[in-house]
Amino acid sequence: MKKAFKAIAAAMLLIGLLAGCGSGGSGAESGAGAGGKTKLTLWGDWGGDGQEQIQTMVKAFNASQDKIEVKYVLQQDVITKFLTAATNGGTPDIVFWDRWRTALYAPKNVLQPVDEYIERDGLNRADFYEEALKELTYQDKLYGLPLTVDTRALFYNKKMLKDAGMEPPKTWDDLEKVAKALTKWDGNKLNVAGMSLGDPGLFSMYIRQAGGSVMTEEGKVNVNTEAGKRVLDLWGRMMNEDKVYKVGFEEGLGEGADAFVTGKVAMLYTGPWMLSTYDKYGKDLEYGIMPPVAGPAGDTGGSMGGFGLVIPKGSKNPDAAWEFVKWWTANKDNALLWAKTSQNIPGFRPAVEDPYFSEDERWKPFLEALEYAKVRPTHPGYSVMEENALIPNLELFLQNKQSAEDTLQKAQTDGDRLLQENAVVQ
Amino acid sequence: MISAGKLEKSRSSAAARLGRHQARMGYLFVLPTMLLFLIFMVIPVGMALYLSFTNYDVLSKNDWIGLSNYGRLLQDSLYWQTFVNVGFYAIVFVPLNLLISLLLAVLLNRAARGVKVLRTFYYLPTLTSAVAAATVWLWLLHPEYGMVNGILSAFGIVGPAWTSQTETAMIAIIMMTLWQSVGSNMIIYLAGLQGIPDYLYESARLDGASRFDCLRYITWPQLRPTTFLVSTMAIIGALQLFDQAFVLTQGGPANATKTPVYLIYQQGFNQLQMGYASAQAFVLAMAILVFSLISMRLNKSEEPIL
Repeated sequence: MKKAFKAIAAAMLLIGLLAGCGSGGSGAESGAGAGGKTKLTLWGDWGGDGQEQIQTMVKAFNASQDKIEVKYVLQQDVITKFLTAATNGGTPDIVFWDRWRTALYAPKNVLQPVDEYIERDGLNRADFYEEALKELTYQDKLYGLPLTVDTRALFYNKKMLKDAGMEPPKTWDDLEKVAKALTKWDGNKLNVAGMSLGDPGLFSMYIRQAGGSVMTEEGKVNVNTEAGKRVLDLWGRMMNEDKVYKVGFEEGLGEGADAFVTGKVAMLYTGPWMLSTYDKYGKDLEYGIMPPVAGPAGDTGGSMGGFGLVIPKGSKNPDAAWEFVKWWTANKDNALLWAKTSQNIPGFRPAVEDPYFSEDERWKPFLEALEYAKVRPTHPGYSVMEENALIPNLELFLQNKQSAEDTLQKAQTDGDRLLQENAVVQ
Repeated sequence: MISAGKLEKSRSSAAARLGRHQARMGYLFVLPTMLLFLIFMVIPVGMALYLSFTNYDVLSKNDWIGLSNYGRLLQDSLYWQTFVNVGFYAIVFVPLNLLISLLLAVLLNRAARGVKVLRTFYYLPTLTSAVAAATVWLWLLHPEYGMVNGILSAFGIVGPAWTSQTETAMIAIIMMTLWQSVGSNMIIYLAGLQGIPDYLYESARLDGASRFDCLRYITWPQLRPTTFLVSTMAIIGALQLFDQAFVLTQGGPANATKTPVYLIYQQGFNQLQMGYASAQAFVLAMAILVFSLISMRLNKSEEPIL
């Protein structure tokens, strides 16, 4: 799903480049329109089903009052489009925002802080997931409100575990044991991988379970530590001794042939975004979901991501835009309507406390994980550090081409250099 | 009677007038192209050069920072690694590309039945979008269920995880781009082959030259300008490699398929460091210039095409 999404994103990007970034017609036309209504434009990059889900909310908002009218405009490459709009005018009034980008964009002074609105309308910050707010914060100012929160949990194939007489794992030791028992080799051919180790990006979650973190509070890379070593020891054992996985095992399988759906992978960490795929293609698949397992000293660790709504500085009607943001993100009924429409966990806690979530077995493990899940460190260079320094070194380790010591040490030095080069310039 | 000298003079002044007129018309005709060239090439390149000395971030900053972008570039080991990556790509890709497309062209340069159908088939991959092609190639190259490893296993060989292993990821990209590009180069070579006069072959055959001699001493030298064009374009394409690497391997594993353009895109659009990205792009442009000149020397083209 993530791979497919990346491929689609790449496709969109190429099409965008070829088309020469045309399409002046879709620019923002804000201001008071006919009938005295304030017209607002919302930009987002959710197309297809996602577009319809957003439209549902926009329609509901437009019907709920008669002063403001919002229009959703799909932008395939919303961030590039936002860049050009921010420099030559025509910014939208609201942007459907991948929250982690805040650390890069807020220092550039293109987003509208919402603290005053929150004070004015008496919203309670504790009603939102704290970590999600943190991701939208830069230098003590809040730049938007969270719309969705997502996290990963451990999906396991119930039938395979039962056949092997195993219980769903709760600790690292369990995980290793169960994974080993579920793995099936046929000579040199791997038939069933006990546990997916295909995403080295999960290191940030594992290292929390080991009692560490990828970055320190001061904004330095912090992987060359005992905790980092523990993660690599576990991965190294599972990969080379227990042989529960093979590099590239899940590459290039489409949605319908997903390795978990077809029983090629017995356990993996993934998020609620896969539920619909598993339900659609996995007719015979019986799966359970567990919160992420605990580390050697009992530490829990999960990762949080998700979307929010932000108001660009260039908006001509920030007050009206705020009304829309508040209506969608900070109202229990609306947040719940959104959650049910899009199958996402809302960022607004009162909506999450609704029985729709709290009494559904499938959501429970995610809600539990969200209580301790952390967002990516809010450093503008974090993603480039992870992509260019941390993950490449971890890949070398997983392919048995670099020792654990070298891996951690190199990830730390290269990573620190990238963080520094991509830090905020004052 | 007009003296011969006078006649000469008036003739020459008429010629000069005509010459001036022609020159004016000539400039008038090239003007639109020159204007477009100026607006869309010269000015943007000049601006990019200027930006490479600034900390331009599109949104908030555009200050002159001198050579510090270039200083940072020298320290940027990943950027130089991407040059090693595309260097490896070029060393394998360019000769194979020339060889395969030339062979295809020679094979299909005859008036046999079905030749046109075959030409179309070989050209088809060129028309496929890189993204669609990459999706299919990911399937073909899957370590356990892919066709490539399926065929290998029939010979008792355990195939690698093509796109996920550091040793083979770039080779996977080379295979895919070869498949995509030999078709169009075959067409260029076919055009070159049609331009070789038949009498050269006839007289060579009369002198007892074998088919291979004809290929070696007539076809290959006669195709030199074509080869220059194809190889230069291939080298430029190699240095600018981006979309296939982006879709097939996302630059991984372990940075093995990251390319200069990939980093430029990442720094410019993801990190908003347009100044630094411009510096990277400028160094890349210089590299392309140098390698094009080397290619020109190697081909010793007597009729320069550029």
